[in-house]
Amino acid sequence: MSSRGASALLSRASRIRSKLQTALEATVLEVDDVSYQHAGHAAVKGSSDKETHFNVKIVSPKFEGQSLVKRHRLVYDLLAEELQSGLHALSIVAKTLHETNPNK
Amino acid sequence: MATLNLSSLQALAFHRLSSSFPQSTPTLSFNFQPKPFANPRPISLKPYVSEKPRARVVALAVKSLGETEAVAVSPEDGQSAGELPSGSGVYAVYDTNGDVQFIGLSRNIAASVAAHWKSVPELCGSVKAGVVDEPDRETLTQAWKSWMEEYIKVSGKVPPGNESGNATWVRQPPKRKPDLRLTPGHHMQLTVPLENLIDALVKENKVVAFIKGPRSAPLCGFSQRVIAILENEGVDYESVNVLDEEYNYGLRETLKKYSNWPTFPQIFVDGELVGGCDILTSMYEKGELASLLKK
Repeated sequence: MSSRGASALLSRASRIRSKLQTALEATVLEVDDVSYQHAGHAAVKGSSDKETHFNVKIVSPKFEGQSLVKRHRLVYDLLAEELQSGLHALSIVAKTLHETNPNK
Repeated sequence: MATLNLSSLQALAFHRLSSSFPQSTPTLSFNFQPKPFANPRPISLKPYVSEKPRARVVALAVKSLGETEAVAVSPEDGQSAGELPSGSGVYAVYDTNGDVQFIGLSRNIAASVAAHWKSVPELCGSVKAGVVDEPDRETLTQAWKSWMEEYIKVSGKVPPGNESGNATWVRQPPKRKPDLRLTPGHHMQLTVPLENLIDALVKENKVVAFIKGPRSAPLCGFSQRVIAILENEGVDYESVNVLDEEYNYGLRETLKKYSNWPTFPQIFVDGELVGGCDILTSMYEKGELASLLKK
């Protein structure tokens, strides 16, 4: 577990990437901060944190045989700290390698 | 285009000129589909008087009601066995006994009939459709009047659906369901735990969407997309505004624990969490949502 000091120094995007990569051994991991698209978003007004909206795309063997709900829950669990500390919305694409290359 | 020989055209014109109606002719409801006129007025039927060239044009615009063949409306989905035209024109709806229920005019006959079937399927057995080429308001009106006159002459009465005050066949503006409220208000003491209310809610309703903001004006893009998908599916669903602190106080935290899902919107079908916006969108695009909703 990273120390509190280390967490404070890393951007949210870096923390998200680090947590997902470590746990999911992803072959593809894209983390996009789209917070700027939600500036002025009514539901986030008052939030002092600027990094509130992220899109993540993950390709991982850990998703094999898992339903979409379970995959998304897995990702949410890994990012529980972020969700509690100001991450407002997370858009998730979670696939197995087979799903990205059906012919293999 | 319908072709009439000269003698029948003359007979028709002569018939029109000689026709008369009792003074107590009932007032008709003028139902235009899908956009009702701003100020619909009762139309009294008077003897039709016009120059001959005018009469010929009108007569050629649409087949007579009697000459038109009826097309059966499928009881399963309201689609006709033969294709109903999607153009403009006049149409007559018959019930399964072969009685005329309604004569209307429309910019899209097939769409109007589908809408009627959706609201009153028991009255839609078959349909006669008369397409009006190059329709303007007056031509459509004339075609509609000619079918109405023909029916009244044969039956001695107005189709029930066209009677004054009958709103069965008029397109109603869609009524938005109100969002559900879990409590009578913030000040009220709950006698049942909130999670029990949530549990009962998702199990007693086919589809429940917990969204940010009201369904009429969702406050985040994800909730907006979810509402758009459910509306497109035409499914009956309940919505709950998780930001309503007066009537749904404490719902957000309780629901996160109940569903083990940390974000909103959350969509439940048949008591089970389907997921959030991403999963619902994915299922919708693959056609899986429609299958799930039909179970």
